[in-house]
Amino acid sequence: MKILIGLINGMISGATPILLAALGGAYTYYAGVFNIAMEGMLLTGAFFAVLGSYYTGSWLIGVLLAILGALFLSLIFILFAVVLKTDEFVTGIALSLFAVGATTYMLRKIFSVKGVFSNPAIQPIPAIRLPLAENIPFVGEILSGQNLMVWVAGLATILTYFLIFQTRFGLRLRAAGYNPARLDSSGVPSSRMRALSLLACGVLCGLGGSFLSLGYVNLFAENMSAGRGWISLAAIILVNGNPLGIALISLLFGFSDGLGLLLQGYRVPSQFTAMVPYIATLIALYFYAARKRRLNSA
Amino acid sequence: MRQKILNALIGIVVALLLGAVLLLLQGYDPLATYEALFRYSLFGYYPFATTLRNAAPLVLPGLSAAIAFASGVVNLGQPGQLVMGALFATVGGLYLDLPPALMIPVLALLSMLGGLLWAGVAALLRRFFDMSEFIVTLMLNMIADFFTAWAITEPFKDPAAFSPMTPQINPNGWLPKWGEFNTMILFMFAAVILAWFVFNRWKAGYEWRITGQNALFARLGGCNINRNFMAVMLMTGALAGLAGGLVVMGGPHRFIRGLGANYAWDGVMIAIVANNGLIATFLYGLFFSAIQTGALGMELITSVPNEISQVLQAVLVLVIVASREYLNTFVEQRAARRRAREART
Amino acid sequence: MINNPTLIEMRHIVKVYPPSVLALDDVTVDFRRGEIHSIVGENGAGKSTLMKVLYGLTQANSGEIIYKGEPVHFREPGEAIAAGIGMVHQEIVLIPEYTVWENIVLGVEPVNWLGKIDRQRARQLVKQKIDEFQFNLDPDARVESISVAARQKVEILTLLYRNVEVLILDEPTAVLTPQEIPQLFAELNRLRDGGHTILFISHRLEEVLELSDRITVMRKGKKVDTVPASATTRQELARMMVGRDVIFTTRRKPQPPGEAVLRVENLSLREDHGRVRLNNLNFEVRAGEIVGVAGVEGNGQFELVNTLMGIQKPTSGRIFIRNVDITHFDILQRRQYISFVPQDRGKMGASLVAPLWEDAIMTHHRLNPRFSQWNGLLLNTRFAQQFTRDLIENFSVVAPSPRAHFRTLSGGNQQKVIVGRELLLQSDFVLLDQPTRGLDVGSMEYIHDQILRIRAEGRAVLMISADLEEIFLLSDRILVLYRGQLVGNLPVEQTNPQEVGSLMLEGQVQSS
Repeated sequence: MKILIGLINGMISGATPILLAALGGAYTYYAGVFNIAMEGMLLTGAFFAVLGSYYTGSWLIGVLLAILGALFLSLIFILFAVVLKTDEFVTGIALSLFAVGATTYMLRKIFSVKGVFSNPAIQPIPAIRLPLAENIPFVGEILSGQNLMVWVAGLATILTYFLIFQTRFGLRLRAAGYNPARLDSSGVPSSRMRALSLLACGVLCGLGGSFLSLGYVNLFAENMSAGRGWISLAAIILVNGNPLGIALISLLFGFSDGLGLLLQGYRVPSQFTAMVPYIATLIALYFYAARKRRLNSA
Repeated sequence: MRQKILNALIGIVVALLLGAVLLLLQGYDPLATYEALFRYSLFGYYPFATTLRNAAPLVLPGLSAAIAFASGVVNLGQPGQLVMGALFATVGGLYLDLPPALMIPVLALLSMLGGLLWAGVAALLRRFFDMSEFIVTLMLNMIADFFTAWAITEPFKDPAAFSPMTPQINPNGWLPKWGEFNTMILFMFAAVILAWFVFNRWKAGYEWRITGQNALFARLGGCNINRNFMAVMLMTGALAGLAGGLVVMGGPHRFIRGLGANYAWDGVMIAIVANNGLIATFLYGLFFSAIQTGALGMELITSVPNEISQVLQAVLVLVIVASREYLNTFVEQRAARRRAREART
Repeated sequence: MINNPTLIEMRHIVKVYPPSVLALDDVTVDFRRGEIHSIVGENGAGKSTLMKVLYGLTQANSGEIIYKGEPVHFREPGEAIAAGIGMVHQEIVLIPEYTVWENIVLGVEPVNWLGKIDRQRARQLVKQKIDEFQFNLDPDARVESISVAARQKVEILTLLYRNVEVLILDEPTAVLTPQEIPQLFAELNRLRDGGHTILFISHRLEEVLELSDRITVMRKGKKVDTVPASATTRQELARMMVGRDVIFTTRRKPQPPGEAVLRVENLSLREDHGRVRLNNLNFEVRAGEIVGVAGVEGNGQFELVNTLMGIQKPTSGRIFIRNVDITHFDILQRRQYISFVPQDRGKMGASLVAPLWEDAIMTHHRLNPRFSQWNGLLLNTRFAQQFTRDLIENFSVVAPSPRAHFRTLSGGNQQKVIVGRELLLQSDFVLLDQPTRGLDVGSMEYIHDQILRIRAEGRAVLMISADLEEIFLLSDRILVLYRGQLVGNLPVEQTNPQEVGSLMLEGQVQSS
């Protein structure tokens, strides 16, 4: 029982950053932007979260700063890919690499360390206790004590679903992806929707990144996003952008993360357990490709 | 051609200016910084030799990415292929004993084999299961990273070392230096020439290029898309693997943690900024190497952290790529305005 | 109608497409309120460009536009629509995944305070407009499921919903069958009588004469003249359009066909989710014969081309060329027997960014050993260049050198390169898909001549075309595809466009 609860908690923790990044990516996916900068945005968010939390002692400032940091990357993306019409693939890769270089550089410059910065003064994002629910067996143990950001992620999922499918913003966003010429001719510039989608992605990736460094653990490590941006991209593709589907897939990947930790208990070398989420992504991609082939083949 | 050079120059100047602004904002003297940067990379026999040597692990993954992208193959697995190549070369160097004239080529071939096989995994998954090589190679990068970490921590660990690394490989496998020039650069030049020849003069290269430009057209024209895809994946994997092998053979002579990872991603960026042109990749590779090599020396003098080179590189890539489009449009619009003026009179 | 006040004046418009294509050469023209005004010209004459300048889709280099007495300059279509001018494009630009009402209200959606779309109200408003103009549309239908003619109506309604007074239509009849055209004309006449102004771009002279009040003729970026429709003839318009007398009758000489080259037996294609794309096709194309395939787009032409070329595998049936069963051949094997000019130059016919010679040698590089060196590994670039030079000369391609980038050639010259490359393969069977779509009259005539030449040489030609005039001009026999089935296999002397149009639209001939 304890193990199961541990697994589920691990699943939720592992899912949260992927879910947030993937929700951000969903906006750009629907808007027709080929966005592969989530990895960089997550990393930037993680760094600025630690920066803000360390220097002000407030995790809230850390989160806000994380959002700003990721938004900065969004703005650069917008400048190059939307305004200057640079190739989106190139911009995304360049930005992700820029984020790695810049965060490593700032790690050395500001904190004078290489590799990892860890300090008791970093304030983590708090967990939420639900005193009323706590005593419900099993469900209560899981619901209470989850990090605030987990609740934020859940809310973000519902909000995203509403925004994209029920509002005028969503109608125009999806139109920009389906047929930008049509949207342009209706008087709403599709470039505006693309820019807005990138801003939304920045906000969400900033939140996800802050969870990486202030919720999951309490430090910043070089390249700590560890490919989660790529996994969130895979998640989006696998469910064609649907926010509810993204939530499910993120839980799946989070589960594989937790599974890795569990396997460590069985003396599987830590390097192999760390591979589990990536192998899980490959397996999910296998099923996705197989299904697509069945649908398309003559 | 003239436009490409102009584009490169404008990009470099603007990027350097932006970099200067960044330096100023942090209280550094940009002129002194740049002066040190270029002094430690280009001016002098030793700096120049070092720059050339450091260019090899940049140019090879760059060629790998350039050939792949230009052929419509999204191979982003150079980091993984590079470390697998390094691992294969290391293991070979630990267990084989041959005279240097044989040892070095054998190890080089082993490293190419390692990269080729790792790329082959992605190629097979694409070929038989339709799995996008874009995602697969990215995942394989992470898996290769962890796998090699395990390999140097368990089976091939050097018991005398404090941190995870392999023992040194057989000295017969060490790449010799001729004066200050590391023979690594021979492999680099050979690779550039061979790659150019295959890509531009072989029938296969013609088909790869056309496939990269318009896959449906190539397919309708009778090109065997599947076979070409495999060939490109394997060949570009081998190039990246070779880079890994050279790093081991010409550098620390053993597999240590953190070896070569950045080289591969830098190589990808170089291919992008070179617009997948092979000669341009080579030249930009040299330039990036100059920045990186110079940055190390520059740090000693000006105490600017050498990671600034990575920031400069990213800025350079973005500026050059963005201005490429702009320059095209600018030139064309000027011609258009001239024509319009003629029509009015 | 003819003496109505002037609504729009365009004066001295000059437009150059970068780098040096002079699309509009000092054009001055005026449009009157409440008229149907057609603009005719061959492809590339500038008629679309002129309207795009008016509509704000592109900016003129110089000149001015006066609308309702005031100078205007629309920087983008949104401004034009707000002022009351709307344009329906040649390629229908709707969002297939959305419904009719979603497409129409996009950009002016009725919302509540949260930003949530008020669906009831939107549907109601759209229904009102549908009834007002007597269009026959279901607001909840998804656009991807309605007919092309219906989609066109959605486009028009989208503009009327925004209360435009001036409607610009760019080649609207290009996508309609002969049966659907009268309905469109009736609607346009109704709109004109209600006070709207219609600007109608076309190159189909019969229609233009039937529909319009006045006609402006353009040629090579210049305005030739503006005449009342009642005061001119088809011959005269054609002469103004092209600058010389145009022949409207066929140059095809009757010729007895040889034996069957292509034989298609029981060809069927059924997709995994049950949809039947090709339904038991049986037909032949004989040597020295041109067989034209008519049909509304989407009735199986795409799948027919794909199965003949080897891109798609048929569910059943066989394909023979000169009695060789090629059904299971791969594409390269088929290319020994088939020349193929695809529908879309950019997507399937060539690599736009490559130099000319690289596009010219495709397929030849595999089939012709003279292109190989060094045991088949190397490409003989010298021979490739020579081959390309010969192609340029023999097919009258206007290009500076074999190294010129393909993209710099005009559409007509690009098509000549592709046609030349394919015909030089000397295959027994030639498959042509929309061979002259979008080309100027000169290139069109040239390619028609080439098609007739290979027919005279005894090759078998299967030609898919949406242009009924072209089909009747060149074909010996006409096949009609309807919902994947062959509903007509008629010698050309025994049929007429009305009958073929009926078959295209309904699968059977209308008994009148």
